[in-house]
Amino acid sequence: MGMFKKISTFFKNKSEKVTILVIGLNNSGKSTIINHFKSPHEQAAITVPTVGFSLEQIRSEGVLFTMVDTSGAWRYRSLWEHHFKNCHGIIYVIDSSDRMRLVVVRDELDTLLQHPDLVNRSIPILLYNNKVDCEDSLSSVKIAAALGLHNIVDKPWHITPSNAVTGEGLEDGVHWLVQQIKSMNSNNKKLKR
Amino acid sequence: MSVNAKWLQVIVDEDEPRPRLNTVTSCMTLCDIKCDNYVRLIAADIALEDEPTATLKIFRGTTLHTELKLNGIPAAVQSFYSDESEPKTPIIAVAIAESVLFFRNLKPYFKYTVPGLGAEELERDLWLKLPTVRVEQQPALVESLRSIERPKMSRKSQKLIQLSQEEQNEFILKYADATVMRHPNIVALGCLERISSDVNPPSHLVIATDNGDILVLEPQSFGLIYQAKTCDYETVPSMIAVHGTYETDFRIVIATRYGGVYLLRKSVKEGQEIFKISHPFTGLMLLPVDQTITVCAMDCRLVCYSKKGKQLYVNKLPALPMCMIPITLPHLGLTLCCVALEGGLVQLYLQRYLVNEFHMVSTIGAMCFGRTGHEDYVLNMVSVEGEIFVKILKRTAAFDPSELLALKGNVESKAMVETILEKSKKSSIFVEQAAREKQNAKTTYGAFQAELWRLRYVAARATVDAINSSESTISGDITHAPVKLSAEVCGIGPEFRLYLTIQNMSSYKMASNLTVLLHADRRHYTLNKSMAKLPSILPGVPLKIDFEIVAVLDPNLKLPPHTLTIENSQIRVMLLKARQTKPLIAAVIAMPQSEANV
Repeated sequence: MGMFKKISTFFKNKSEKVTILVIGLNNSGKSTIINHFKSPHEQAAITVPTVGFSLEQIRSEGVLFTMVDTSGAWRYRSLWEHHFKNCHGIIYVIDSSDRMRLVVVRDELDTLLQHPDLVNRSIPILLYNNKVDCEDSLSSVKIAAALGLHNIVDKPWHITPSNAVTGEGLEDGVHWLVQQIKSMNSNNKKLKR
Repeated sequence: MSVNAKWLQVIVDEDEPRPRLNTVTSCMTLCDIKCDNYVRLIAADIALEDEPTATLKIFRGTTLHTELKLNGIPAAVQSFYSDESEPKTPIIAVAIAESVLFFRNLKPYFKYTVPGLGAEELERDLWLKLPTVRVEQQPALVESLRSIERPKMSRKSQKLIQLSQEEQNEFILKYADATVMRHPNIVALGCLERISSDVNPPSHLVIATDNGDILVLEPQSFGLIYQAKTCDYETVPSMIAVHGTYETDFRIVIATRYGGVYLLRKSVKEGQEIFKISHPFTGLMLLPVDQTITVCAMDCRLVCYSKKGKQLYVNKLPALPMCMIPITLPHLGLTLCCVALEGGLVQLYLQRYLVNEFHMVSTIGAMCFGRTGHEDYVLNMVSVEGEIFVKILKRTAAFDPSELLALKGNVESKAMVETILEKSKKSSIFVEQAAREKQNAKTTYGAFQAELWRLRYVAARATVDAINSSESTISGDITHAPVKLSAEVCGIGPEFRLYLTIQNMSSYKMASNLTVLLHADRRHYTLNKSMAKLPSILPGVPLKIDFEIVAVLDPNLKLPPHTLTIENSQIRVMLLKARQTKPLIAAVIAMPQSEANV
């Protein structure tokens, strides 16, 4: 993918490892989004509900991207917090057509933000407002308001509309996320010096 | 706040048109009707304005998706799977009058009509006469039809007596040859799941009719495979609760309109009455774990009975209960009892303990709990005004009885502190009373003794009740770790050794502060030590203790006293917990007959 070439230029000459945690409720399109990032011959034709979690590694020019594809099913949501410590960025996928569960999306996001592993870290959160092609989908502005995103002040966040089936909007989001991680890494290095 | 943070309220856009729904709990079901893993709410909307009509409404989330017109007012709606073939298509069963309509893919699929009943002799004769007599004589015959009780009349006759005299002749000629049959009406539906490893096994449909028949239909061919009566006389069921599988064993609990509750087992074709209350029921539940029956009735009480009809506990409800549903939470291993009360309060009980409650803006008239949409634990509620509310259980919610109990306990202890005991002052009343007592010392003493005996009698009866109600080998109190007791008697007598094994059945809780108490008739058995304090019992590590029991023998005859019979040669074992009045377990051990001392 061209996008990952672009991303990997940020980490040039360093064998850097970046772990990105992909979370969201079940049926929001997490596996479909990750599937889109894979090289064409690795892509699966159909996605099935994930059980537990699966690790997808995408190597591009010396940089190893580890995508933690978690399951959004009710009984597996408690496993999310175990990945918080070791991730550099979070992708939170929202099904914008599922209005009934917007309140669950908010509840899970609030729990995530209050988790001790994340509360004092300035970790970038990318929110994919997925399934924008559905007729009853909500706009990003409405979702941001419903989730109370403006209350998040200590973590950089970005919400972007996407369509995981066609791949629309996915690159924009990842571009933002990688820039954030990059700037954070350089900040850390400055501090160390 | 901490108590009410268990549910997430689904917010519906104000500007969106909100669907209205007028329904009852029995006419609500949840099913994956489109086979796309999205579980939709299906409910019969009953409109009672001038001409009663009903429509089957299918909701996607909180928005109306599809409507289906029904040709009658349904009594119950159920959804189930009929076979194991993939993709699994659910079937919706709608009970209207004497038939069940089955819908598959939202299309009529099958219609089952319950077996008809023969009409009354008188009615049949009248219908033979009616077409033959002259028009002038017809009104007299029609009048005599009215002597038959309405529910026992065929539908044809019911229609006839409603018509005006001018229309009657035409009606009679038109339907003269139609058979005079009456059909019982269906009042309730239930589902018996088949044993299967699948999450959605095929189910047998259970039908209750208003003449007291209970029918079970086979899921694939909809053939009648089981028929039973509620009881030996005719009664009208109002609600049913089923548990078990058709292949092995099942139990059907039937609540009737007259306040009786009957239990039907597979092996018998007639239910037996287990208890009766004098108020109409608004909810019936058969708890799957401990097989207790919970009912709520119009006397504002939530009562739990054992299957033998023993009343286990009573919860006083603060308002009239409107409806009740079970809330099964497999991840916590609990089944809660959710009662909607008049005024908008919804309470959740875990056995006798209130664990959660929340207020809605108006009275909830119907509820349905289960997987809705893509979320597992969703409570769908419909208010009496027709508004739909959806609440989703929080992932982190846990229902601990001690939480609310602690809150309530604080209130109680506060009340205790605030009430100061009033000491009697030497008022004129006191002086007069003292003088009266001095005068009638004998009668005063007699009255006091009589009352004392009465108090002792009441206390003794309460003790026996408490011991009997906990008569089992596993403790049923969920606030503590469940404990299992087993006993073994060794020896041939007169010295016996009683080995008790106490096991903690919980997976994480510790059972502490336990005491074992033995009780035996001292004329028959001598116990050297009748009480033992137990150390804390860890889960999975059984504790074994033993007691010495000596049977009393006549020193000359070497025989046990004549008062000892097989029925009363027993020892009571009670497992007590400190600071708790009721024993956790009370068991009776039958002692073997003692041999003479060699």
